[in-house]
Amino acid sequence: MHIPDGYLSPSTCVTLYLAAASGWYAALRRVKRILATRTIPLISVFAAFSFVIMMFNIPLPGGTTGHAVGVTVAVIVLGPWGAILSISLALAIQALFFGDGGITTLGANCLNMAMIGAFVAYGSYRLIAAGADLSSRRRVLAAAIAGYLAINASAFATALEFGIQPALFHDASGTPLYAPYPLSVAIPAMMIGHLTFAGLAEAAISAGMIAYLQKADLGLLQGPGTFAQSPEFVPVPRAATPSPSRLWWAVALLMFLTPLGILAAGTAWGEWSAYDFDNARVQLSSTLPSVAPAGLRKLSALWTAPFPGYAPRFIRSPHFGYLLSAMFGVGLLALLSLIAKSWFKPRRQPEARA
Amino acid sequence: MSFLESTLQGFTRALSRSLLSEQVAGQPGILQQLDPRVRVVGIFSLVIAGVLCRRLDVIIALFVLATGIALASRVSPASLAKRVWLVVLAFTGVIAFPALFATPGAPVLSLSRFVITAQGLRTALLLIFRVETAATLTTALVLATPWTHTLKALRSLRLPAEVVTMLAMTHRYVFLLLESANQMFESRASRAVGRLSGAESRGMTASTAGVLLTKSMDLSHDVYLAMLARGFRGEIPLLTEFRLTILDYAGLLIFLFAGGLAVWIGR
Amino acid sequence: MSALAFTLQDVHFDYQGIPALDGLSLRVERGERIALVGANGSGKSTLLRLLDGLYFPSSGAIEFDGHPLTASHLQDEQFSFAFRRRVAMVFQNPDAQLFNPTVFDEIAYGPLQLHWQKEELMRRVDEVLAFMQLEAVKDRPPYRLSGGEKKRVALASALVLDPEVLLLDEPTASLDPRSQSQIVDLIQQWKGTAKTVITATHQIEILEDIADRVVILDAGKVLAEGTPAQILSNSELLLRANLVHAHRHSHGSVTHSHPHLHGHSHRDHDHEH
Repeated sequence: MHIPDGYLSPSTCVTLYLAAASGWYAALRRVKRILATRTIPLISVFAAFSFVIMMFNIPLPGGTTGHAVGVTVAVIVLGPWGAILSISLALAIQALFFGDGGITTLGANCLNMAMIGAFVAYGSYRLIAAGADLSSRRRVLAAAIAGYLAINASAFATALEFGIQPALFHDASGTPLYAPYPLSVAIPAMMIGHLTFAGLAEAAISAGMIAYLQKADLGLLQGPGTFAQSPEFVPVPRAATPSPSRLWWAVALLMFLTPLGILAAGTAWGEWSAYDFDNARVQLSSTLPSVAPAGLRKLSALWTAPFPGYAPRFIRSPHFGYLLSAMFGVGLLALLSLIAKSWFKPRRQPEARA
Repeated sequence: MSFLESTLQGFTRALSRSLLSEQVAGQPGILQQLDPRVRVVGIFSLVIAGVLCRRLDVIIALFVLATGIALASRVSPASLAKRVWLVVLAFTGVIAFPALFATPGAPVLSLSRFVITAQGLRTALLLIFRVETAATLTTALVLATPWTHTLKALRSLRLPAEVVTMLAMTHRYVFLLLESANQMFESRASRAVGRLSGAESRGMTASTAGVLLTKSMDLSHDVYLAMLARGFRGEIPLLTEFRLTILDYAGLLIFLFAGGLAVWIGR
Repeated sequence: MSALAFTLQDVHFDYQGIPALDGLSLRVERGERIALVGANGSGKSTLLRLLDGLYFPSSGAIEFDGHPLTASHLQDEQFSFAFRRRVAMVFQNPDAQLFNPTVFDEIAYGPLQLHWQKEELMRRVDEVLAFMQLEAVKDRPPYRLSGGEKKRVALASALVLDPEVLLLDEPTASLDPRSQSQIVDLIQQWKGTAKTVITATHQIEILEDIADRVVILDAGKVLAEGTPAQILSNSELLLRANLVHAHRHSHGSVTHSHPHLHGHSHRDHDHEH
């Protein structure tokens, strides 16, 4: 199910990379919260384990063999977020070092197998195994079904990604530029193999491993919370003040996008000013009386803004006016908050020298 | 071939690839002369160019360029053919084959009832050459670059330190666990008297996986203690090593120019 | 600085509900070379981990150089860095200790974590590489090293910070004879220096070379202490601690059994015929 480079268009790759990146970011934060400094050795070694599992040929009925991802075990031992990280790492090593899966499609592969797979496995395992004793047979069955569903969910997502390529990305003569089969072909083609062989392989390895753990190491079945209880020392890292520079970049980006507001025609509902009442365009979009109410007329003369309508009078172009207003507004807010911060900053204790 | 043998073969292939990489990385090819960061950026930009192109002739030109880079980096034609081209052909070729007939368009060739269309031909060739080009480029990069250099290049290119550290540690322990699994499977293969039933084979695979899991968990626990003992507190300091030379800047410019040209002509 | 490197008072430690150390008390003087011996499961590795501030006792106290060695103390960055520089451990499983991509990275890891300056770091790593004869493999990944090389790298990574205390967990286990003797020679060199060395081992043959004092552990407690000569001559003690075994053998018509160690010839024993 590893998608190579060339099967997905650049825009598909970028979109899926962005989706995967948000998943990785969320997963890393959550995992670090539970595991703290244990994160690196635990996730990395488990990723190595996932990599090796993915190389197993699992014998299936009929003399065939299949490969499994092992997502269910990952989800049970590390939790869904830890599983996302470990399996993504394994997929990255496969793509970068062993050429199994593309690098433009790494985001897609991680999204399909590590993220969609992990959540489907987690959800279905929790649902089916709910309340069962750790060593009960229901857990084994839950793992098998969870694995089967997860791998098929991943396959379906992959099929969707393939299937939309020809319709969206083709040249003038109708030649598909990337994956050449439409949904009507891609979905059955992917699902047949996974509903049968790959699904069974995943179910078999998941069930088998859970059964093994029930005998050999029951504690691992309790999930990542148990790691927080082991006896070794866990240093609390120095609380790093989060760098606000990223947020400023985000604000800058938003500022530059403000002129988009000009695209919205007319005036927002309920935000009419006195002169909107005899504006023909506003009348079209909302039924207003043709004369502004007396109270509104009186109060609107109370305060005249320096830059009415976000358009400083000396600026000719409305887009630039918007941008300038945005910069001015942000600058003013930043100045005010700096002043407030310096007023309220606690007096610093002199640092004790050892 | 039994499932045991094919699993073991897979392991051997992984190990032999790392050995080949060590050998190629030590040779004086063109990729080896360049700073690892330039290599990574250059190769990745050519891969991206290959995916952005819409014209078949430009993609084929990129493929030729990719092959040239690989050969000039002392990757033997035999290795390329065996490890990349044939593998891609076997997988993507098979997938692309029905598209020859299934893609609607102007007929080009008829074989009894089956009609190959021009569009079908183009789409199949587009797919195959794109995949081959990307695979040739990444293989050349990986074989010509020690893994640690690739990782350090990624880190210099602003990939988060934790991610790079985890990639490094995962890679390091992949080989240890591969060897463990190898030994376990080999010992069971030698002990398998007569053929195992399907259920027995599955059980054996699952229990090997289980043993590997408990070993991995113990290992990760010991690694954590070892890290703590050497002062680890969650920070990941970096030892900067790479310096760019004129050759590196020139190489980078050439890569970016080639990629940009390909995207422009092939748009 | 205190004259005592470590003091342990009535230390108890449970691992997953099973008592690993059961009221252990011990004093280690600065500059002493101690061998911890005991059968597997006697608590040697656990004790070393407690001494290295990786685990903490469930009851009892450990002091390093007069400072209490507790989790909250180690949370303090200054104390932690000082401790990690002064006490280094070589783990039993070299694959767990060699977690960096190359030999060079491995040896550089400690100094890097302790924020050494780049020039000093590089100089020191090169020094240690030369000292341990590892220059030829400095860019190799750990999975391409032999068992002996791995142990030397593990030792090098512990020595790079020039620690005052070395904790060695089975340093010669599963090594070929030449690598073994290299390590034993190294430990011998530290006799009479300021370095405190605590070696956990089950190999009785090397005790005389590596230790000034032998501490026998049994079921999580100190069973006996003494010089190597004293301990080695007390065969009942060794048998009780499960460190030796007894063979039966016969001389002519007489059959007897007595505890012995392999590597010592039978002329050392008194036979009664």
